[in-house]
Amino acid sequence: MTDHVRHQDDIGAYLLGALNDLERQAFERHLARCDECQQELARLRPAADALPGSVQQFEPPARLKASLMEVVEREAREQQPEAERRRPRLRFLMRPAFVAAALLIGLVVGFAVAQLSGEDETRTLAATVDRAMPEAGGTLRVSNDDATLRLHDMPALSGSRVYQVWLQHGDRLVPARTFEVSDDGRGAVDLSNVDDADGVYVTREPRGGAQVPSEDPIVSVPL
Amino acid sequence: MAHDIRDLADEEVMQLVQKGDPRAFELLYDRHGGAAFSLAYRMVGKQVAAEDVVQEAFLSIWRSRQRYDKTRGSVRTWVLGIVHNRAVDGLRRSTVHDRRRETLDVVEERHEAAERTDVEVARREEARSVRGALNTLPDEQRQTIELAYFGGFSQSEIAKLLNQPVGTVKGRMRLGLEKMRRQLVEGVA
Repeated sequence: MTDHVRHQDDIGAYLLGALNDLERQAFERHLARCDECQQELARLRPAADALPGSVQQFEPPARLKASLMEVVEREAREQQPEAERRRPRLRFLMRPAFVAAALLIGLVVGFAVAQLSGEDETRTLAATVDRAMPEAGGTLRVSNDDATLRLHDMPALSGSRVYQVWLQHGDRLVPARTFEVSDDGRGAVDLSNVDDADGVYVTREPRGGAQVPSEDPIVSVPL
Repeated sequence: MAHDIRDLADEEVMQLVQKGDPRAFELLYDRHGGAAFSLAYRMVGKQVAAEDVVQEAFLSIWRSRQRYDKTRGSVRTWVLGIVHNRAVDGLRRSTVHDRRRETLDVVEERHEAAERTDVEVARREEARSVRGALNTLPDEQRQTIELAYFGGFSQSEIAKLLNQPVGTVKGRMRLGLEKMRRQLVEGVA
């Protein structure tokens, strides 16, 4: 009952998005087990849902649709059926460029092994970050097939979201590890299989990670 | 085929979008892009910034299309919710002063949608009806709801801006929504 009394007044603020992350999480925990608040929320939701429709209606410029559809149509062309998208590495192995490279490697395998065994090439690349995070930055240290991405001054995310790394292979982004940053905004993540990647990217995703990025990368390191 | 797809309900169009159909996505934009742009424009107050919000939101919708769950609400509510979140993200990066000014001032009126189709007429009618409901609220309730929803302010920030206890702000939001609900759902002012 005490829990209910404490949270019932938050319903309006919750519907309007006016709770901070901690308040929202506490309210949602209460909501999950409070029938009364669930009913009240459902009752008031139509009022909150109507708000976006209250604004004066404007015509979006035609260029907005044109630029949006240009990206969407390109991505639709590039994207294979959903079932294949869930096995990105398998599809990657079928790419003609990879097959050609594999054949070439097969022909010169003796030479390649000799080259690789004596080679420990390490390079450090600067990360490009979204301009919305002017303080943030970082580096990607690549050593053969492994890499470490180190970032600083990254914004803290809400409890339900994490940063996720993506490896670019051609036109596709393959999900890699998720990570969080410390209180001072620092984060580091070790990556493997980067040797054949074309880039390393970071987005913000729900905890547990995503199969497809939900936003444009906020950190980019082309390889 | 184009005739067929235009007869589909939003939820059916969304199923095609989830299969990666760009024509279905275009139809989704045709149906909700205007409301999305109008909402973004109301929130960020500048045309170019509003275009950025809508572009980002619709690309996010396209790229996270599998996340739509029809059991949790209409396509329109989902789309406008994503637009709202993107606009709030943008607002929270700007200064409090700018946000307050844009939320409370009357937004410059231009590019108003022409009532060329039944859908646009219905959209304008809906806007008048909801605006009417909002305008019947006592000023302090309307202002609090507008600062929260259109300004992206948290209840604590609103309390500071208005120099009121947080409990008062919570109460105004809830009472305001209750009054709007009565008017919109039950037709009682």
